Amino acid sequence: MSAELSLTYDGADLDKDDVVLRTESLKKSFGGLTATDDVSIAVERGSITGMIGPNGAGKSTLFNLISGFYELDSGSVYVNDTEVSGMKPYEIARSGLMRTFQTPRRLEGMTVREAMLVGPQGQSGESILPLFFGGSKVRTEETANLEDAQRMLERFEIDHLANAPSTELSGGQLKLVEMARAMMAEPDVLLLDEPVAGVNPTLAKKLAGFIEELNEEGQTFLIIEHDMSFIMRIADPIIVLDQGRVLMEDTPETVRSDERVIEAYLGGSP
Amino acid sequence: MSEQQSDDIGLTDRLDRLRIEPGNLGVSVLDLTAVGVFVLFLLLLVGVGVLSLNYGMYLLGLVGMYGFMVVGLNIQWGYAGLINFSVIAFWGIGAYAAALLTSPGSPHDILLSPVIALVVAIVVAAIVAVLIGIPTLRLRADYLAIASLGFAEVIRLLFLNEREWTAGSRGISGAPELFGWLPVEPVVRLLSAEASIGTARNTIVILGMLFVGYLLVRRIHRSPWGRVVRTIRGDEDLAKALGKNTYMMKMQAFVIGCVLMAVAGWFYMYAFQYLDPGELEPLQTFYVWVALILGGTGSDRGSIIGAVTIVAILEGTRFLNEIDLVVALFEAIPGITLNVSAVRLLLVGLLIIFVIRFRPQGLLPPKEELIWPGAASDDTQSRERQATREQRGVDE
Ligand SMILES: Nc1ncnc2c1ncn2[C@@H]1O[C@H](COP(=O)(O)OP(=O)(O)OP(=O)(O)O)[C@@H](O)[C@H]1O
Ligand SMILES: [Mg+2]
Repeated sequence: MSAELSLTYDGADLDKDDVVLRTESLKKSFGGLTATDDVSIAVERGSITGMIGPNGAGKSTLFNLISGFYELDSGSVYVNDTEVSGMKPYEIARSGLMRTFQTPRRLEGMTVREAMLVGPQGQSGESILPLFFGGSKVRTEETANLEDAQRMLERFEIDHLANAPSTELSGGQLKLVEMARAMMAEPDVLLLDEPVAGVNPTLAKKLAGFIEELNEEGQTFLIIEHDMSFIMRIADPIIVLDQGRVLMEDTPETVRSDERVIEAYLGGSP
Repeated sequence: MSEQQSDDIGLTDRLDRLRIEPGNLGVSVLDLTAVGVFVLFLLLLVGVGVLSLNYGMYLLGLVGMYGFMVVGLNIQWGYAGLINFSVIAFWGIGAYAAALLTSPGSPHDILLSPVIALVVAIVVAAIVAVLIGIPTLRLRADYLAIASLGFAEVIRLLFLNEREWTAGSRGISGAPELFGWLPVEPVVRLLSAEASIGTARNTIVILGMLFVGYLLVRRIHRSPWGRVVRTIRGDEDLAKALGKNTYMMKMQAFVIGCVLMAVAGWFYMYAFQYLDPGELEPLQTFYVWVALILGGTGSDRGSIIGAVTIVAILEGTRFLNEIDLVVALFEAIPGITLNVSAVRLLLVGLLIIFVIRFRPQGLLPPKEELIWPGAASDDTQSRERQATREQRGVDE
């Protein structure tokens, strides 16, 4: 029954007028296992779109397909109406899509401030020649980026950590740094994979506040999260993934009370 | 208006155009003091007669040569996390470029100038590095490790077996004077009557080149480029997700490192005046790795310290059989004779164990933060800058 439904589901059909990220019939299997099966979703500009689903539903795989880390078996991905499927991850990032990883890794030998500076796009000092023939331009950019980084850290209330080595952060602090750094790139859409997994409730609440605040300023999010109260509080709409397929997409209230969703989470899906 | 502005530039802007930034060159007073102390120490050894002046200069030249290799490997492994086991092969490309193109003993009667050999060494090393990088750098780090290990052997066998081209195991001897136009002789004669001008010249050239190379390397290390490359070492996927062309940047790091190794080899031919493929033993690559790990992976200063350390070990052990105590010690153990090269390896092994046990980050580990010179790195500076900016905004 739900299989039939998901076959006819097409996120792009829901009347969203300004879509920043769209996928069409994404498919991916690992050997015999179909991790993503015909997934079409659309993320409206200015929204916080949530994505939930039981373990192994294929949420992270979908992120990896969208951001180019996994090769697609079939289907296409559009960012700002430009097809990005087949592009390299860095090219997709440059087209305006930033993502975080489910398991963040620490950058050894860098302070938080320095790690933040990796975020901004199009830095001329990232090529070799300007380092020797455009020193003052590099310096101007670097100074501006340092100021932006400071502001962003203040915004996420982690400016006291600026001088801390990245290796000394707690899991929760690291999640904040990751998000702040991704924001330094000024993405059109930011994909967060379980931003509050392993984060204490106080910090999670704070993080929810930051996300909402950024969203009010126009930032679009697509967020995978298992923490129901967190995602139900901040996201609308919510996409439910189950066994590699989109089960439904609707408001938090509808999703919460939907039988199929409850069933999927109890492990009783068809 | 804009013309007026460009006429009226301040001193800092002017220095900027010359790309000189006072106090931000990448060497601190402390660095220079350390080098000074080290040279004084050597002079002291010469003074008390432990070291002859010429041998001391020769050792410094050797430090310069290893310095290039260790700094090069540091860019690859210390910055970018690339495992290169073909250090000696790139060294060999440089050494053979010098030998074949400029040596009177070369099987080709060319006798070009060492400067041309240097350019050829750099270009060939860069091309070969790109060729190795293309198939391996898209893959995970271990592929480069394996490929480079194989490549080092290929290069050694190539130089050994292509006799018509390389003179094979017969070797190539003789080399012209390095940078004959440098007025080394009058200066050296002022200081000492018995110093070898050739050795002095070579040492001055390589140390001068190392100094310049070091400044350039410091510049890229502290740059946004260096920051991304260090990010790649920590987490390449993260760097990709942040929009960085990691393949290209790994390639650049690999090529720059290999070029520095080739410069070291180029110098060797002028310092030693003889080259055969026996010099291309894998053990040499191992020594460079040891130097980097001892000195401090990821640290430019550490690389230099590592070069000094490895030269001290390699050359110091040469004289083991002249020290009565050591000889007596070995004679006391029946059935064992003093084998210098074995003892050398033993010492290197022990040193590695000690460093890993007591100072795993090396003698001089890298700093936690590197920021482009002149960009505000502390709060006062940034506040000042912002204040000036605002002021300007008001004025305009
Ligand atoms: N690189 C891979 N190779 C093989 N199988 C994979 C790979 N990546 C994911 N899978 C499989 O695909 C399925 C979906 O995994 P995915 O990580 O996308 O789930 P998820 O919804 O993110 O789960 P969780 O909530 O636990 O993070 C799982 O069965 C997983 O084992
Ligand atoms: Mg997941």
